[in-house]
Amino acid sequence: MRRFLNSDFFYAFTRSPLAIVSLLVVVLMVLSAILANFIAPTNPFDAASLNLMNGFTAPMEPNMFTGETFLLGTDDQGRDLFSAILFGLRVSLFVGVMAVGLAMVLGVLLGLIAGYLGGWLDTLIMRLADIQMTFPSILIAMLIFGVARGLLPAELREEMAITVLILSIGLSEWVTFARTVRGSTMVEKEKEYVSAARLIGLNPWQIMLRHILPNVLGPVLVIATITLALAIIAEATLSFLGVGAPRTEPSLGTLIRVGQDFLFSGEWWILLFPALTLLALALSVNLFGDWLRDTLNPRLR
Amino acid sequence: MSFVVARDLSRTFNLSDPWIVRKLTMRPKRLLKAVDAVNFEIERGTTYALVGESGSGKSTIANMVVGLLAPSAGSITIDGQNLGDASMSRQEQQRLRRRIQMVFQSPYASLNPRWRVGDILSEPMRAFKLIDGATAQRKRVAQLLEQVGLSDSDASKFPHEFSGGQRQRISIARALASQPEVIICDEPTSALDVSVQAQVLNLLKSLQKEFGLTYLFITHDLAVVSTMANKIGVLNQGVLVEEQDTEDLFTTPREDYTKMLLSSAPKIDFDS
Amino acid sequence: MTETLLELKGLEVTFTTRRGTLKAVDDLSLTVKRGEILGIVGESGAGKSMTGAAIIGLIDPPGRVSNGEIWFEQQRVDKNPESMRGRQVSMVFQDPLTSLNPLRTVGDQLVETILAHMDVTKAEALQRARDGLTEVGIDPDRINAYPHAFSGGMRQRVVIALALATEPQLVIADEPTTALDVSVQAQVLDLLKKLCRERGTSVILITHDMGVIAQTSDRIAVMYAGRLAEIGETREVLTNPQHPYTQGLMASTPSVDAKSFGQELFQIPGAMPKLDALPSGCAFNPRCSQAHARCQTDRPPILADRAACWLMENAS
Ligand SMILES: Nc1ncnc2c1ncn2[C@@H]1O[C@H](COP(=O)(O)OP(=O)(O)OP(=O)(O)O)[C@@H](O)[C@H]1O
Ligand SMILES: Nc1ncnc2c1ncn2[C@@H]1O[C@H](COP(=O)(O)OP(=O)(O)O)[C@@H](O)[C@H]1O
Ligand code: SF4
Ligand SMILES: [Mg+2]
Ligand SMILES: [Mg+2]
Repeated sequence: MRRFLNSDFFYAFTRSPLAIVSLLVVVLMVLSAILANFIAPTNPFDAASLNLMNGFTAPMEPNMFTGETFLLGTDDQGRDLFSAILFGLRVSLFVGVMAVGLAMVLGVLLGLIAGYLGGWLDTLIMRLADIQMTFPSILIAMLIFGVARGLLPAELREEMAITVLILSIGLSEWVTFARTVRGSTMVEKEKEYVSAARLIGLNPWQIMLRHILPNVLGPVLVIATITLALAIIAEATLSFLGVGAPRTEPSLGTLIRVGQDFLFSGEWWILLFPALTLLALALSVNLFGDWLRDTLNPRLR
Repeated sequence: MSFVVARDLSRTFNLSDPWIVRKLTMRPKRLLKAVDAVNFEIERGTTYALVGESGSGKSTIANMVVGLLAPSAGSITIDGQNLGDASMSRQEQQRLRRRIQMVFQSPYASLNPRWRVGDILSEPMRAFKLIDGATAQRKRVAQLLEQVGLSDSDASKFPHEFSGGQRQRISIARALASQPEVIICDEPTSALDVSVQAQVLNLLKSLQKEFGLTYLFITHDLAVVSTMANKIGVLNQGVLVEEQDTEDLFTTPREDYTKMLLSSAPKIDFDS
Repeated sequence: MTETLLELKGLEVTFTTRRGTLKAVDDLSLTVKRGEILGIVGESGAGKSMTGAAIIGLIDPPGRVSNGEIWFEQQRVDKNPESMRGRQVSMVFQDPLTSLNPLRTVGDQLVETILAHMDVTKAEALQRARDGLTEVGIDPDRINAYPHAFSGGMRQRVVIALALATEPQLVIADEPTTALDVSVQAQVLDLLKKLCRERGTSVILITHDMGVIAQTSDRIAVMYAGRLAEIGETREVLTNPQHPYTQGLMASTPSVDAKSFGQELFQIPGAMPKLDALPSGCAFNPRCSQAHARCQTDRPPILADRAACWLMENAS
């Protein structure tokens, strides 16, 4: 820990207001998502606690029937928007982080294999990546989502929606990881420490995982952060299009879709606050990722 | 028979385009003979040096002798055992591998930057099942570090905390960790300054005396060769053009190529 | 021949990092005469390249020339580095690959450099470029080739042609042959030497190879830990070194000499200190076999115009 605090990296961090602010926003959002149960005034999924009379309450104004006041107002069903956003944030972050995790594990493994073993495996993996790159990843995600839903029995669809969402976003984002890792693996495997490992008879997996992996992780962390922002937006887009998180487990994207219906009837807050939250989250993750990239490896740009 | 024997050692690299491209462009196969029927023998406990210009095939031979690269033709035997013997079990292979280790050229690329020196040095002990138990391994690491002129406390540091010369010492210690009998040194001091080079060369020599090591020493620097080697082979474009005992090679070179190499080596000599 | 072209007076290059400041070059004074080849030797990190960079005004932050003066043709130039670059001083770097643009033909690069620095027409520039290639022993008909079509030695010759194309007064060559083979190295050095003799160009040749220096330079400056350790005629310094560090360097250089076959090499104990943790007094004192009390406290100046060592005091 002391070494970390003494590092040039930490020093650069303390010198960059942008990095500090963006990380602060991210941490704040992650914390409030994790602690949503305790922070949120109401449980937005508990249908029993909802009072339809509270519907369409404007922010900070007492409801004309019940006299209750809501920080960010309520939606059409009288659900407290602030609570809904906290829980939506949780769904969005969960899906984003899991999807990036999946993409990362998959991409790093495939990249290591392609870069280290080479040959027809490399050709296969990289052609697959090329093909996938020609389609926008949101399209891939929608495709996977559609196929997966089609395969699932109807009664499982709602239940599995989040899992399917993670799978489809994760599978649509592995390419960047694989390409980067393949590139750095090809550089690393020519280095003499790899020859030294081969000399003592280690097998390719031991060399890839013990020796090469730690040396290619730097850029992976940067890509992971930047991909997280993309994944969160992808999730929101899917949910906005109605093919993502269900209304029973709304993410920020679902909230925005719902809010959109009421924009022109004057209930602007139902759209605005979830949208602002999404913006702040995606933007700060992205800014932090950019800063990481510039600091850790100026050449990655 | 000599300890290390290379017989008709050859290696061809295929520089052609992929098959399909070649058929489409109607270009012939392009092969490069990097090493061409090279023969040499190294006696136990002596140093054999290979010299030659860049691209002459020195490293290719080194990589074949340690088993990193398969020869296209010919054979290498160490103490009567053929390195390319396909019938060897994995255990036999590991036993043979342990006896041949290598010290590399680049002090920067030859140590894994993410590993502590202690882990780097104990890895061969684990791989060859030489020493069991963390405490015994730590003791051996300390001993190795001392043998190469570093200190016990360096085990917990990372490679980047060392200078080029010190890293080369760590590289040598890693080779020693397997208790090898032959060490291939591929340009071990080319990246070092003269004063540091002298330290590393002296270290290699004293280790040779102490453990009776056999060296295959690869370099392009004739002055270094003259202090290190018992016998010298001169390589030119993959062919061993001349082989003589060190003194004879410098006093009575036979081939024009050797004479050219000798005359172009910078000398600190003001009598001419 | 004896006219002074370049003079450094107490040159100091400082790097300010958050761990403190270090002097990469510390109180360095020397002169380069017209038509002379001055060799600068010293081990890695001794400050050789920084000296070259300071002369040509190429030191980037966090480094800066923090003290001292640089005089070129009786004009002070350290205040205005731009005036130094280009026509009068050019630089040859270690790696010929990085100093040539791989995407443009060598001819284009030569012509562009000539046009940028000299008042000539395009046709004249082309002719000069061809002459330049001929001079360095490259067939001028290959002027339209790309750098990758040349071998390492040929590329370095192209770089030299590029450096000499503008008829500079001073060429700073920073490890020009380190990336090359011995036989190519000999060609390149001979070429550099010949061209400078013919044109009266001065050269600062930076290297860590004593053999290269011995073969090429007229005078040599030995640097240690950012400071000048010894300076003098090449032959004098190499055959009769005065500074204990130079003596050690010479003794540890292996030689192709019947007496030395299989002999243990002399080695200087220890390693060069980090520049931000220099010992007080003489920077060499922890490694010096002749160190005495005064060496621990007082830093020796250059004595008897030769070596920065207290042992010289009695000699002068
Ligand atoms: N950007 C930098 N920041 C901090 N210190 C630096 C920087 N660049 C150079 N230095 C320091 O300046 C000193 C001299 O560097 P210089 O490159 O001149 O050495 P050199 O003698 O040319 O060595 P080499 O043979 O390795 O090129 C070194 O100690 C180096 O650490
Ligand atoms: N993996 C490879 N593929 C193709 N050519 C190679 C390969 N390795 C070496 N070569 C070629 O073999 C020749 C000898 O190389 P090497 O032994 O590395 O030379 P050096 O004497 O500099 O160590 C060179 O021409 C080199 O380009
Ligand atoms: S001043 Fe002293 S320590 Fe420095 S070189 Fe001379 S004798 Fe050695
Ligand atoms: Mg080589
Ligand atoms: Mg340098």
